Amino acid sequence: MSLPEVLSLLPVLVLAAASLLVLMLGLWVKSQALLSALGVLTALGAGALALLVPPGVPEAGGMFSTAPYARFFTVLWSGVAALTLMGSVRYAAGRRFPPGEYVSLTLFAGAGMALLSAASSLVGLFLGLESFSLVLYILIAFHRGSAAGIEAGLKYLVLGVTATAVLAFGVALIYASAGTFHLPEAMAGIAEGASLRPLGLLGWAMLLAAIGFKVSLVPFHLWTPDVYQGAPAPVAGLLSAGSKGALFSALLGLVAGVGAGLRDLAPVLWLLSGLSMLLGTLAALRQENVKRMLAYSSVVHMGFVVMGLLDSSFAGREAVVFYLVFYAAVSVGAFGVLTALSSQDGEPQQLAAFRGAGFRHPFRAAALAVFMLALAGIPPTGGFMAKLGVFAAAIHAGHLPLAVLGVVASLISLVYYLKLVMVMYMSEESAPPLHRGSVLESLNVAVCLALVMLLGLAPGLLMEWIGRVL
Amino acid sequence: MALFQTDFPWLLALTLAPLAGALACLAFRRSDAVCRALGLATSLAVLGMGGLLFVLLGGPRGPGWLLREDFAWIPRLGARVSLGLDGLSLVMVLLTAFLVVVGVGVSWRREKRSAPLFYALVLVMESGILGVFLSLDLLLFYLFWEVMLIPMFFLIGIWGHERRLYAAIKFFLFTLAGSLLMLLAILGLVLFHARETGVTTFALEALLGTRIPGVWAPWLYAAFLLAFAVKVPLVPLHTWLPDAHTEAPTAGSVILAGLLLKTGVYGLLRFGFPLFPGPARDSLPWLAGLALAGLFWGAWVAFRQQDAKRLVAYSSVSHMGLVLLGLAVANPIAFEGGVLQMLNHGVSTGAMFALVGMIAERAGTRRLDELGGLWARAPVLGGFFLFFALASMGLPGLCNFAGEFLVLTGAFRASPWLGAVGAAGMVFAAAYMLRLMQGVLWGPPRSDAPWRDLSLREGLVLAPLAAVVLWLGLHPQTFQDPFRALAGAMALALGGGGAP
Repeated sequence: MSLPEVLSLLPVLVLAAASLLVLMLGLWVKSQALLSALGVLTALGAGALALLVPPGVPEAGGMFSTAPYARFFTVLWSGVAALTLMGSVRYAAGRRFPPGEYVSLTLFAGAGMALLSAASSLVGLFLGLESFSLVLYILIAFHRGSAAGIEAGLKYLVLGVTATAVLAFGVALIYASAGTFHLPEAMAGIAEGASLRPLGLLGWAMLLAAIGFKVSLVPFHLWTPDVYQGAPAPVAGLLSAGSKGALFSALLGLVAGVGAGLRDLAPVLWLLSGLSMLLGTLAALRQENVKRMLAYSSVVHMGFVVMGLLDSSFAGREAVVFYLVFYAAVSVGAFGVLTALSSQDGEPQQLAAFRGAGFRHPFRAAALAVFMLALAGIPPTGGFMAKLGVFAAAIHAGHLPLAVLGVVASLISLVYYLKLVMVMYMSEESAPPLHRGSVLESLNVAVCLALVMLLGLAPGLLMEWIGRVL
Repeated sequence: MALFQTDFPWLLALTLAPLAGALACLAFRRSDAVCRALGLATSLAVLGMGGLLFVLLGGPRGPGWLLREDFAWIPRLGARVSLGLDGLSLVMVLLTAFLVVVGVGVSWRREKRSAPLFYALVLVMESGILGVFLSLDLLLFYLFWEVMLIPMFFLIGIWGHERRLYAAIKFFLFTLAGSLLMLLAILGLVLFHARETGVTTFALEALLGTRIPGVWAPWLYAAFLLAFAVKVPLVPLHTWLPDAHTEAPTAGSVILAGLLLKTGVYGLLRFGFPLFPGPARDSLPWLAGLALAGLFWGAWVAFRQQDAKRLVAYSSVSHMGLVLLGLAVANPIAFEGGVLQMLNHGVSTGAMFALVGMIAERAGTRRLDELGGLWARAPVLGGFFLFFALASMGLPGLCNFAGEFLVLTGAFRASPWLGAVGAAGMVFAAAYMLRLMQGVLWGPPRSDAPWRDLSLREGLVLAPLAAVVLWLGLHPQTFQDPFRALAGAMALALGGGGAP
């Protein structure tokens, strides 16, 4: 890699270097606040770099693009990492997380996600995916005192490694069919009339299965509720917002490369989307645990994103990116509220723990209620505009039945989102008060809340931006 | 008129003013008294603006726009903040502003739990309702349409009576089921328009001329109709209404019956009929049938109720059936009567809910077999009750009469059978109202606990309502004038004045 190429990856390198630096500093500095502050500032700095300093070359090492599209996601994932770190200072300190490691790993996860979103070859895709998956294996099980956390970490590890193996095999098959790792050329192998088309399609199937696992699409979703429940709340937010979003941003590039071949993939995507929306919704209905409910809800939402993928037009891709940004904001926000309500002894997870929270903790409960309405897609939140986009995409691509299925899922999903809202505002008796929270946590929640509302009231701002980078 | 030559965005200000009041309520959430005052002041200010608009723009008007405002919103989607005021929206805005003041008045010092949140929600809802009555952009309309839903959900769920949770979620699910399908239909319409002209826009005026491929038009119309029919409510989609109305706090019932139901009819008039004239024309006989079914079914079920509030709730189903009958016969007289009847019903039913609330507060029960003797114990309250109950029955000189008369005249003109059957429904209305009066007003008091008569606050709420009821009864022209020509034009565009 030449120097200009390295320099064009500067934002990601900053994240990775800061990650190492914090890890070292952690040997001497034991203050979670100080290291988190460093982490937040670096992540914001990396985001600013990605936003303001134009890259010198369009591609680095033939693996990672530095196009505006990649830069856009670098900004997004840096922001997610910064918000996660900011919201989890008290949480991490209260559980005696080793401060250096926690901050370092979170930054590294941000770097990995940025790399994945920037992948312009299948190798880059693999590298990016693995670099943050490895980090998440650790972060999920980071709370050593929590048996559920260890179980979740192990579960994610075993299944994740399997998915990685499948992914690698799929990449190999695609390589065999096309003779290149580079995108979008590698996708030529499944074009109609290509000599090794069956091989390419098999590779694609494996690729989709592996990605389906990572973003928890039905039928690859079984790990999701356990991992969400066991993982520390801020990590679950990071997982929900970043790892899934980064994969989709890469998948969007892959699907766009397929071009006319999408016709053959469409039924598969249709099925993945429909099943995720339907089964995810039905499973979420039965949950009494808020984190498990959010896990199934993420399954449903990923189904919605796949629905947007079906439309390869500009509007369709715009809808997908919009959805990812919205989902990142709302995930970090919702898990931010859970983090802010957690005491040292545990997180409020059962619905019953939220009784009367609407009047005891007005700001955070109101924010959580808005996030729930946003997830349900009720205007004037960003969730509405996000769903509008994917519905329009599905109709535009001629998949009206899928859009109707999405509407049905939205309607049923309202029941479990409203359940939490009703518990907070409409129960007769109150649960014991939850933690008072800290200023930083409230700031984290406030930023996400503002973003979610802004995306609903003035979605044009983000749409213009996406229009420039697509 | 000089006032409106300036560039000041009156309609936008009117729509956003309650929202500003709501935010102020949340900012001053430490003091209940301040929030009550803010709630009242904001709703009165909106009423003042609405009244000013009515004074300046009222009177006999043609079918065109009185005020139009247009701002950029989401350029990529072709959605704009496009607001318009014509004779129809003018009277609806006035009704909204008036009934929200009534709603604030009846709940004064009544809502024990978190008064700031209560007033903030009422005001947000007012913004939503005003937005619905003023939007001319389908996306903006849909946004306001949902915005008015959420506060009502909270009002029922937090401040409602025993079965409030069930009622709240049922209300939310029913209305959302309809409106989500409407959202798909809106998207379909916009995509058809884009395919035809290459322009993506949500503007009503542009979409009016869209050529929809034949097989799709009835489906799109059906989705719109479903969303509006749930709100109206059209039998058999009415089952959410008795629960929601009965469980809601008094202010919620007043706004629900007086305003939210009207948004359904308004939606049909503004969007459903004009966007899909062909399928709409075909649906008119069905609508007429369902309207009559609602008229009788609502009246019959109301007659069978033991709970006074539930009785009034079912009477709404019956009254809205008559409004819909006016639309379904689609001639100018009936249309005019239908719109007038919306105003009448809003005011008279709002007053009935307020009264039932006041009586239930005193008696601790709403059951007709446990009430009675109001006339003897609280003559002023009893007098108001009698007055509004008679108005609700359609006594000449009070509000409902003129509207009912016009609708039935229109119906007769379209088909004597329809008119005759509709008129028979009026007898039913008399039956359940008489039963309500008998149960509440007369008979011996069932307990010895002393009742206080009307308080000053309650008097201040009821007196303006009574004045408006008289005004609507004696001189409905004041309110008819702005929309008469418009209603005529709409009816002609839809039905050509012919029979359904």
